[in-house]
Parts: sequence; C-alpha cells; structure tokens
Amino acid sequence: MDTARILIVDDEEIVLDSCTEILRGEPFELATASNGARGLALVSEFRPDLVVVDLKMPGLSGFDVLERIREADPTIVAIVITGYATVSSAVEAMKKGAYDFLPKPFTPDEFRLIIRRGVEKRSLVLETIALRRERELLREHFASIVSHELKAPLAAIQQNLYALERELAPVSTEDQRGRMGRTKTRVGDLLQLIETWRRGVSVDIEAIKAQCALVSVRVPIEKAVDSLAVHAERKEVELMASVPEPAPLVWGDQGTLTQVLVNIMGNAIKYSRVGDRVSVSAEARGGTVRITVADTGVGISPDDLPLIFNAFYSAQPGAAGERGSGLGLAVSRRIVEAHGGTIAVRSTPGKGSTFVITLPQRTDDGPGGHPREAESPTATPKEGRR
Amino acid sequence: MTEPKKLLVIDDDPDFVAGMKAILDTAGYDVDVSYNPKEGFAKLKAKRYDLLLLDIMMGRGAEGVMMARKIRKEPALKDIPILIITGIREQVAFMFPGQAVHPHFVPLDELVEKPVEPELLLEKVSALLKASEGREKP
Repeated sequence: MDTARILIVDDEEIVLDSCTEILRGEPFELATASNGARGLALVSEFRPDLVVVDLKMPGLSGFDVLERIREADPTIVAIVITGYATVSSAVEAMKKGAYDFLPKPFTPDEFRLIIRRGVEKRSLVLETIALRRERELLREHFASIVSHELKAPLAAIQQNLYALERELAPVSTEDQRGRMGRTKTRVGDLLQLIETWRRGVSVDIEAIKAQCALVSVRVPIEKAVDSLAVHAERKEVELMASVPEPAPLVWGDQGTLTQVLVNIMGNAIKYSRVGDRVSVSAEARGGTVRITVADTGVGISPDDLPLIFNAFYSAQPGAAGERGSGLGLAVSRRIVEAHGGTIAVRSTPGKGSTFVITLPQRTDDGPGGHPREAESPTATPKEGRR
Repeated sequence: MTEPKKLLVIDDDPDFVAGMKAILDTAGYDVDVSYNPKEGFAKLKAKRYDLLLLDIMMGRGAEGVMMARKIRKEPALKDIPILIITGIREQVAFMFPGQAVHPHFVPLDELVEKPVEPELLLEKVSALLKASEGREKP
C-alpha cells in the first residue's frame, strides 16, 4: 500500500480541524467532509483506505454512511466516532461492519493509535485479497506450470535413465545397475507425486461440463464396485450395491463420477476393519438423485469431520495404517460441484461413516426440458467410451 | 538386410528427444529429429518417413495438435502413422491406466505419456509400423 488515504466525516468543524492537526506529520493523505452526503461522494472520488465517521450527524447519519460504504467497497476500514460513550451504538456500528469505535472526547494519542491500527488492518485486508487472487491464478495455471516446469524436465531425465540403463547394461556392475534402478524408481515416484497434486488442484470444471451426457447412475456405481472388488476382498470387507430398476438418470460425466465413487468407496474400505461392510445405494427423490455410500468402519472423529473435504488434509491412517494424499475427497467435492451437486458426510467414531452425493435428476426427455439436446452429438452418451 | 525404418521425432525438448532417440537407435531404427513444429513439418514433406513421433504439447499451447491436423489435411502425409507423445494425459484417462482418451488425429495413431518405458515405446512403434504396412498392401 502506498501512502494510506484517510477520510474523516464529521459535522463539527472543530473535530475535523483537530483531527487534521493530530495527524499532521503522519504519513497519511487526508480528506475531510462535513456531512454524510459529501463524505460518500469523497469515498468514490478520493478512494480512501480508511474512513472515520461520526455516528451522530444531521441528514445522512453515520450508520447510513457506514452502510453505503460497505456496499460500495467492503474492504474499506471504517472507524466510528460515538458522540456519547454509549456501548449500544458502538455495538450496532460494529455489527454494521465498523472495525473499531472511538468515544468522544478522545485524546490525540488515542486518535493516532486507532488510526494507525486501522491503517494496519487495511493493509492486511489488501494483502489477503492479493493473496487470494494469487492463489486462484495459481490454481488456474497450476496444470500448465506443473506440466512444463516440473514434469517436463523430470520426464527428460527419466527418458535418459531408461536409455542409459539399456545402453550400459552390458558393461555395468550389479551395484551400478541397482543404483540405476533405484534412481529410476525415485524419479518415477516424483512424477507420480506431481501428477497426484496436479489432479488435486486442477479439476477442469469446463472439461467435465463438456463431457456431460445422460447417464444412468448404475453405470458409475457398477464401474466403481468392479474396480474396488479385489481391494475389498483382500481386506475382507463386504461390498454391496443396490440400485433401483429403472436406475435414476443424471446429466453427468461418467468418467469423473466413477472417479468420485472410487475415491469415496475406496476411503470407506480403507477405514473399515475385517468383517465390516461398505454399501452403495441410489434413490431418486423430489427431483434429486441421492447416492449413499455407507460403511460400518472406524468412523471419522468430530475434529476431523469439518476438514476432510479440504485439499491436502489427511486424517488418521486407515484401519491397516494406510495413508492418503489428502486429495481424494477434495477432488471428489470439486467434481460433484461441477455437476451441480453436493456432497455431505455424517459419522460416528467406531460405528462408521455415511457419505451422501446429491445430484439433480434428469429424465429421458433431456436436460431442462429440451428433448432435442439429448440427441445432439455432444449430448449423446458415447458408446464404448472409457 | 532390409532397409531400416525411417522415423521422425518432433518434440521441443532436446534432452527428452535424446533419451528417446537412443532407445530407437539401439533398436535399429533410422531416426531424424526436429525441435520445432515448423521445421519438423518441412522435413516431413521433404523426405518419406515410415513413422512420426509427435509431442502434442509443444510450447505453451498445443502446437503439436495443430500440426497433427495439418498432416491429416495433406494428401501425401495423411497415411503416415503417428505415435503421439503427451506430457499429461487427459483428465478422464487417469482413472484407467493404459486406456488414455484417444484423440485420433490421423487414421493410424497411438498415444503414450512421457516418460515412455523402452519396452512400451518399441512395442508401440513396431505395432504402428506393422499396421501401416498391412494397410499399404491389402
């Protein structure tokens, strides 16, 4: 932030003058207004970082000014001056978004201090906004950054290791071949890790929407059950599916919906003990399709529960000590949201967890009452697409 | 002795190309390389190749994809088999390893992801060459 701009709005000339006097020599740019209307005009002209408003003014009151400032730019830090040190008006102002309040009469030091704190707050607010924007940009560009800046050099290294290993095979010792093999494994692990991260942060919502077609929920459910059957058997966890006939339809991307179910059911198996049961079921109710994945496993602690959909959050290890990347559920949520759906969880530690995916139901008539759309090339469920 | 098959690699990462070329050289192929799509396309038109290995994600965009489209439109080139090499497999494909979503740019193409294991690379190359020969002499 450059020099902070401060606007003082008060109907008493003497207050404006003394405030100006107090801040003389401080690194601020100052503007004053003797009524609410003029103050609001200056909010857009002067673009202040911080506004000091007297609550009690004729005409437009301090509360009104406060409210309009919030509407115009909620990031502006507002400090209110309360005529009489009434707690109630200060509380009300804080509720309306004021950052702090200053009861009259105040000493120059009190005023200077509260202004400095307000300016500090403003620069934190701006920094947060900038960081948030940066994070979004990073997310958007992550796929290309990762692919070009990280994956490409590693792929080049690995490709040469592959080649060198073959070329040197006739002349290398067993120890050298062993080290070469381990180097290859390490590079391979790194490539795998990068790929996991990339998938976690760059669920391409537009690509999912473009792939959408009329899909029976039976398809992703059966595919997920198929791909997890061996895993469940090995852990001696019973895996059951129940889908009504005819199965409800959704407008979705079969591939990523399967991915969501594999993630959630895979987790359920991971957090189940020998003899536990994981069941997946679907039902249509009131225009929505609910897919429920319930397990009788170890459950999720109340501390972990609100955080499990966050990226890189990995709860305690699974029943057999397995650990995840902390991305499966975050990716799943993004995919479900790209489908216009929601995902929710409830859990009792020791008793098991239940995940419910809710998606808008579609009928054979096509999406949103446009029967033709289902026949267009992009909307036709692609036969044999994998 | 039969004439070695002529391969062209178009990829903008010289180090990656070196690693891949070494594997193909050892297997007895005659390998030319080009590090940019424009020069690569010129080479492709100037000399007859049996197979093209093409990186579809060259540069910042998908220059390789544009190039594959150009090849398809060129009557003299459209029958060349292409092994498409990609840095990142399409989103949907990662679920089903080995079954990448296949864009099919030309009648005969296959897709592999970087880095490519030597066995897989040689297998794909020889399979494409065989399929291409089968098409030429029906």
